[in-house]
Amino acid sequence: MRHPTEGRKYSRRAFLKAGGGALAGASVLGLAGCGSNSASKSGSSGGSKSGTLSFLVWAEPAEEKGFRDIIKAYEKKNPKAKIDLQVKPFDNYQTLTTRLAAGNAPDLARIQYQEMGRFSSQGALVDLSSYLPKNYGDAFTPDLWKAVNYQGKPYGVPQHTDTMAIFYNVNMLKKVGVTSFPDSPEKAWTWSQFMNLARKLKKARVAPYPFAVGWQTSAYRWMWFLFQHGGQLLTNNLKGPMIDNPIGVQTIEFTQNFFKENLVPPSTSIKSNEKIESLFSNGTIAMMLNGDWLMPFVQDHLKDPWAVTYMIRDKQTASDLGGNAVAVTKDTKNPELAADFLKFLASPEQIKQFCVTAQFIPSRKKLVQEGLDYKLRPKDMDVFVKQSSTVPPKMAAEQTIPKFGDINQVLEDQLEAAFKTGQSAKATAKNISSGIKQALGS
Amino acid sequence: MNVEQVRRAPATRRAAGGGGFRSWWGRNQRKIVPYLFITPNLVVFTLFMFIPIIGAFYVSLTKWSLIGSPTFIGIENYVQMFTDPNFWKAFYNTFIYTVGTVPTSIALGLLVAMGLNRRLPGRTLLRSIYFVPVIISLVAAALIAAWMFNDNYGVINSLLNAVGLKSVHWLSSATWAMPSLIITTLWIRLGFNMVIYLAALQGISPEVYDAANIDGAKGWKLFRYVTWPLLAPTTFLVLIINIIYSTYVFDLIYVMTGGGPGFSTTVLVQYVYQEAFQQGDMGYASAIGVFLYVLLMVFTLFQWRVTRQGEQAS
Amino acid sequence: MENTLYTATEAKTKGRRLSRLPRGKDAVIWVLLVLGAIVMVFPLYWMFVTAVRPQDELFNGHFSLFPSHLAWSNFTHAWNKLPWTRFYINSIAIALIAVVATVFINLLAGYTFAKYRFPGRDIIFLAMISTLMVPIQVIMVPEFIITSKLGLVNSWWGVILPRAAEAFGLFMVRQFMVSIPDELIEAARLDGASEFGIFRRVILPLSGPVVAVLVIMTFMWRWNDFAWPLVILQNQSSYTVPLGLNLMKGQYFTDWTGIMSMGLLSIIPILLVFVFFQRYFIQGIASTGLK
Repeated sequence: MRHPTEGRKYSRRAFLKAGGGALAGASVLGLAGCGSNSASKSGSSGGSKSGTLSFLVWAEPAEEKGFRDIIKAYEKKNPKAKIDLQVKPFDNYQTLTTRLAAGNAPDLARIQYQEMGRFSSQGALVDLSSYLPKNYGDAFTPDLWKAVNYQGKPYGVPQHTDTMAIFYNVNMLKKVGVTSFPDSPEKAWTWSQFMNLARKLKKARVAPYPFAVGWQTSAYRWMWFLFQHGGQLLTNNLKGPMIDNPIGVQTIEFTQNFFKENLVPPSTSIKSNEKIESLFSNGTIAMMLNGDWLMPFVQDHLKDPWAVTYMIRDKQTASDLGGNAVAVTKDTKNPELAADFLKFLASPEQIKQFCVTAQFIPSRKKLVQEGLDYKLRPKDMDVFVKQSSTVPPKMAAEQTIPKFGDINQVLEDQLEAAFKTGQSAKATAKNISSGIKQALGS
Repeated sequence: MNVEQVRRAPATRRAAGGGGFRSWWGRNQRKIVPYLFITPNLVVFTLFMFIPIIGAFYVSLTKWSLIGSPTFIGIENYVQMFTDPNFWKAFYNTFIYTVGTVPTSIALGLLVAMGLNRRLPGRTLLRSIYFVPVIISLVAAALIAAWMFNDNYGVINSLLNAVGLKSVHWLSSATWAMPSLIITTLWIRLGFNMVIYLAALQGISPEVYDAANIDGAKGWKLFRYVTWPLLAPTTFLVLIINIIYSTYVFDLIYVMTGGGPGFSTTVLVQYVYQEAFQQGDMGYASAIGVFLYVLLMVFTLFQWRVTRQGEQAS
Repeated sequence: MENTLYTATEAKTKGRRLSRLPRGKDAVIWVLLVLGAIVMVFPLYWMFVTAVRPQDELFNGHFSLFPSHLAWSNFTHAWNKLPWTRFYINSIAIALIAVVATVFINLLAGYTFAKYRFPGRDIIFLAMISTLMVPIQVIMVPEFIITSKLGLVNSWWGVILPRAAEAFGLFMVRQFMVSIPDELIEAARLDGASEFGIFRRVILPLSGPVVAVLVIMTFMWRWNDFAWPLVILQNQSSYTVPLGLNLMKGQYFTDWTGIMSMGLLSIIPILLVFVFFQRYFIQGIASTGLK
């Protein structure tokens, strides 16, 4: 399908860009006798957009294509500019922080919303206020715009968001008599409905395990369960924990039961490298709570009919705050060019193109309202788009404070203990609470 | 012919007779040349090892997120380390892993070396087979192992099922994850120890064994009182290297289990990596690193002394 | 009593001894060794099987030790997913240059530490050896800062130089050099040779075995290097093979067929080097005097 040819295209493209970057830039983009400005880093020659920028990202093949298309379009408009895309596997920001320490970080970097606070609060990113027009942020989804701001100033631009819902195997669910599905997030399956369905699936043995949750190495994805149950992780002023209470304990117990009742494969806890989309695609699980960017993978690997329905709910609806922003680092030698490229990347046309290519949800309000023309499974993608409006603003605020990285680690350690080593829910809630207190220094 | 006699015989030097630099060089090259010869080595070590190590010592006394600048906090990191339950858990895991892999892989390596030291058909081929896992990259080895130990599709569980045994949750249960890592490490390490022991065994001349035979030493007695003492320096070397490898294991565990399930396979270096790059606490991570470095040095010195005494005794 | 033990000299002679079949205790030992070898080689066999069997056979729940047929296209399919040619070029270049650099540096230095007396010799040597006990994660960042100030980020030399002086290699060379008789060196001095001349004409010709060991080990270390290249190389176009393997493992995809096929391929160069130098390898280790 898309994969084999896509792969071949990349290797050639990557090879060209690598081995003959200048050559490709000159010939393919029809430079008309232009000089060798691509090497200059000062870029202040008469205010024209010239210079070289490096742009560090991690990316799936589809995402990489999206980025390269943006770069191609920008270089076409600005022949004297050259953007060097550096694609590295996701390494928990090891590369970015190491290069920042050495003072040679890339000009631009892709950063998750949950990590923006850590970098902006420590001076690693450039304050973009002087490069962006007034009220620039009004066009973006409020939670996302807030996430890239620190102390009222923008340090990055939101490019896209994504969220999670329920993928299901049509035939397997049919076997236990489930043929109709909720048509809005508010009508989604409740916690008890979902658990009953899972137990039914287990009893009928349609698959080795009824489902799995896509929270591997991302403990913060447990938080939507807490919010669904009407709780929150931090106090309203974001200065202390608010999880050591019945709501928190019950949520922990609810998710613990996934493992206690053997409804999820034991290898799908938080500290795991398991890729549950593989388990879904090879029939090990009948359902998975996972994100829209995995639709291309499932499409390529699962032959049976499948579809997507809304995330479960309890007292409230809630789902994952996903997505990434792009920021300019302090080591850039050409902030004007970098900011200009950022504005281009975040323009409606480019966001639209990127989201359609990589199967994401746009960060601009208008684009979300209009709806995008997704090529792959538009009906299922629509579920994700609608689901994205259920992301609790309070959760978004909590996940984007500067110290969230530490809190995430606490969550990871304690939830892992609760799921895999039988730590009681009460003790877990207490430990998370004291861990958060320590992290926030309160 | 001793050193001084040679040095006081300038007539034998080519440079004698020429004036100035050449005769000075002729007389002094022996003193200067060693420093010249080790200069490339020294430069590389200094730039890329000694200075970073000193840097690490310094950073261990600071709080540094890598993003801003370091702030000096004295020995706070070390204090934190000793009261940090996660640190002790990681220490314990590293200890278990080391105890599980070092004596076993050394013993197995020695056994195989002794076996291959005999005149058997296909020795060379067998030797190569045992050594090949050593030359595979740790990442590749970890990937093979992760695939073979896979809960649902791994060949090990398939083989168990084929003989009527239940599947084991190798990498997804807190009980079996560490044993899986240890087994994989034995596969990788055995050949390395074997090769070193084999070389040492082949250096033992047959007269030694003949003499022992005459004294009536055979089998186990032969090993215990003749072979094993002769291998003492080799064992020292092998022990130290294996302990270093086990204490600093990272890639293998990172790829196979990521430190889970729970905390059951989080070892010290993984914890250091986590603290340095995910938690943004390079200072604390460096403190742990310094601690490990000092610990290993002390252990090596201690072990060396023991071996020396053992040598002198026999 | 039958002496079935080999000596170092006997090990050097070629020729098979199949005429002498193992008997009694030897037979038992041989069988155990062979069984052990089967266990040792099985993972590699399984890697091969996973790489060549048709992809949907992996997960269809049907277990078999042998692939139904050989799908060589798996290799080309995986090869096309990433710029492997580029990765192999980088890896080979780095390994070859590193071998030359490391052998040269270590040989000279190992000889010096073994055969010369000069102030500070032991301290410097011990300091170098002690670097084996430092975890790389802790010196990674300062090392990167220095390497980047030298302008070596994202380059072959940025991978080679920081590792050009391998402490373990230095140790082995020194051990080897210690066993060279001092008389040879003194004799050359009496003949009026310069210090470097001694190295070139006396030491070098005798260094065959240890050079062989260094070549294999250095090639292997540089070929398998992962943690440091991951930090220093920034562009996919400068990646080495282990980094490529890691990319293959990827963030969202678990393409076991692809991983196993490319993993298998990545073992071949180092395997070739080993097979070629193998004869000298044991000899070399033996003559580093590890006794």
